Amino acid sequence: MSLITVKDATLRYGVTSALSGVSLSLNPGEKIALIGPSGSGKTTLLRLLGLQEKPTSGNVVTLGCDLAGNCATSIRETRSKIGMLPQDLGLVANLRVIQNIILGRSGTRNFLRTCRDLLFPSKTDRDEIFATLERLDIAEKIYDRTDSLSGGQRQRVALARTLFQHAEILLADEPLSAVDPARGRDVLKLLTALCDDAGLTLIVSLHQVELAREFFPRIIGLKEGQIAFDGTPTDDEISDLYSS
Amino acid sequence: MLFGRRWLLIILALAFAWTVTRLGTNIVNLSETADPWSTTSRFFTAAFSPSFTDENTTLPVGVTPFLERVGHDLLRTFRYALIAMSMAIPIGLIFGLLASELALPTNRLRPLFNIFRWSIRMLLSLVRAIHELIWALLFLAAVGDSPITACLALGLPAAAILGKVYSELIDEQNRSAQQIIRSSGGSATQSFLGGILPAALPDMVSYTLYRFECSLRASAVLGFIGIETIGLGISRSFENLYYGEVWTQLYILIALVVLVEAIGNLIRKRLRDGRPRTSQPDQITETQLRKTRPKNSLVRSLGLAGFVAIIAAWNLGDVLLKPAVFESQRSDRLSRFFAHLTPDPVAPKNPVPTWDERTAAWEAGSDQLLPWVTDLWNDPGQEALANTIAMSLAAIILAGSAAIILIPWGARTLASTKPLGLAMHGGKIRTLIGAAVRSLFILTRAVPEYLYAFLLIGILGPSAWPLVLALALHNLGILGRLWGEVIENSPPSEPRQILTLGGSRFQTFLGALVPMSLNRFLLFFFYRWESCVREATVLGMLGVSSLGYYISLRQAFLQYDQILFFALLGAAAVIAGDILSDVLRKKLRS
Repeated sequence: MSLITVKDATLRYGVTSALSGVSLSLNPGEKIALIGPSGSGKTTLLRLLGLQEKPTSGNVVTLGCDLAGNCATSIRETRSKIGMLPQDLGLVANLRVIQNIILGRSGTRNFLRTCRDLLFPSKTDRDEIFATLERLDIAEKIYDRTDSLSGGQRQRVALARTLFQHAEILLADEPLSAVDPARGRDVLKLLTALCDDAGLTLIVSLHQVELAREFFPRIIGLKEGQIAFDGTPTDDEISDLYSS
Repeated sequence: MLFGRRWLLIILALAFAWTVTRLGTNIVNLSETADPWSTTSRFFTAAFSPSFTDENTTLPVGVTPFLERVGHDLLRTFRYALIAMSMAIPIGLIFGLLASELALPTNRLRPLFNIFRWSIRMLLSLVRAIHELIWALLFLAAVGDSPITACLALGLPAAAILGKVYSELIDEQNRSAQQIIRSSGGSATQSFLGGILPAALPDMVSYTLYRFECSLRASAVLGFIGIETIGLGISRSFENLYYGEVWTQLYILIALVVLVEAIGNLIRKRLRDGRPRTSQPDQITETQLRKTRPKNSLVRSLGLAGFVAIIAAWNLGDVLLKPAVFESQRSDRLSRFFAHLTPDPVAPKNPVPTWDERTAAWEAGSDQLLPWVTDLWNDPGQEALANTIAMSLAAIILAGSAAIILIPWGARTLASTKPLGLAMHGGKIRTLIGAAVRSLFILTRAVPEYLYAFLLIGILGPSAWPLVLALALHNLGILGRLWGEVIENSPPSEPRQILTLGGSRFQTFLGALVPMSLNRFLLFFFYRWESCVREATVLGMLGVSSLGYYISLRQAFLQYDQILFFALLGAAAVIAGDILSDVLRKKLRS
């Protein structure tokens, strides 16, 4: 059974069409790269898959839940299984690393528990976060303020937040945008290895076609809000994607 | 941009010329027999010999000694400000949330909620536009002279301004962390708690501390209408010509305000920069790292001390609401107050009216309401309002001009042996002058405008200019600090070029730093002008024909309906100033 199903989804902002007639089916454990020129709809598609936007027409069912037909509780429950890694990482700069990570589990905890988590995290949570950070090689930063970390370290903190969330799907929006080309490969190596270990389905939007080919067996090309190809693209398909 | 910067300067020069024609050129307005220079010299000579005992030698035995009295006044000043802030912070937080865009739903009810949000913002603007002194006059009439009157008068405008600032700070935060919490299933409240509040908190705490400083100054000023704070002691000593006592109390007030400002600066810095790790763990384990984590002990201790002080302020000292002999007295007083507050044409004759009497009075006099408003507007509202605006304009232009002259001497980046990081020959004297200028800024802003105005009117006689000078002096201190920080935070590389080419510090200031920072200078200039309008409204209570003059005049006749009219007129001017300054700031930003 597929994890995410998109049927003829169209999303318009006013008169501008961000996505039109997109249909997809994504299976558990898949690793998928979304590529395409700027403005082709990669981020919008990620938002649709993450149940952050409702399509103007068509429908998106993620983990059996769709925004139009489900109640708020079930949407929250589903969202707690979807990890997001936005371009700007979405970290609070003046919180400690542990506090940023613990917020990843807000979807499964109530308000009072979140207050407690921020002020007095439990021993179990502290140990689990420490173990997660150890896997990411930044365990010694657990109690440091997030704004004292380098860009690469912050990216690992955001990744640790998703792992601590116990998500089933990880949606990463251009994770290499702030990384120098030499380190891009390392980031993707880490990301794919972690997803393999945790059994996560990974969907990443990328600009680096060569890296996409190297790490992702399935590549979806987007052009002007429509799917240009889905699978393993040929060189011609790639050059068509980026030709104006 | 709507108009060029050069035009803006020409407009400001023309505006100043208009204020001179409006306010006249008589700075000294004393009777022919008076000798202002002798009074001035006696007053300033006393600055070097402050009194530590009562100057009045005829006081009966057993009277509380001077310094003990000042100590009590100071404690009360502090207590009222503290209680006011403890009320203002939670109210400000609730209204700040209601007035923020964050509280708007994303569904179709959004326009409706937006109307509600703007109503809240308007309410906050109106409450903060009315000065603490006017609130105190109204609460004195409604509640009596209990300490709670002072606390409410200080707390209400503080709550409104905190509400406005909190809402802006909340709206300014990056929404990314909040969206992440939402997208991982967190609720709206969780996403606010984890994604917005921690990011906004340092700025919110920082502004709250600044507001506490303002409340402390306002608390001192309440003494001038008879509330027992340090302002009352200062006004009594001044009226009795005990200038040594005046200076002692001034020094103590300045020391308290400067101390609070210094603590505020320290907390601000700690919250912004955090603490570095000072000890390394023996081994990398969670327990070891937690034990050696950097802690903000100073901020925590001061926060705890603040909390204890608030509890003490509520529970120790004079009872906050003096008990009425009969409970009916309190309700009668309130009822009378509201009857006095009702505009005269529709006010019931009975001082403690029933609902039916109120309705009958309204039906009988409602057609007279508009002529009543028009009459008050024609005489003296219109002129009082023009004077208020002229005073605020003259003051801010004077303060701005003095600040722009002093900044190159005071800004740390220029007043040093290594200006903008470039080694220069000598410069130790410049460093000393810099420290002196910055001290001048601290001293001028530590004393409230009303206190300056009271002293200057005593020395120069009643005219608009002592009030203008008072406003200008206080704002010089504030603009000096704000503009100084703008200069200190400017990137040094471009202005340094002028120094490396052999230019002087002053040339660097005029040639590079001013053009680079002009927009931010103007932003602060307009922000302070808006505050000047609010202050100029009440300074008239010292006997010069701005709106405050008519407010104090009507208070003597218990005409609270007219007080309300003038207070609302002043509030309208402040809100208009607020909107105008907002528009200009936005234009300058673009």
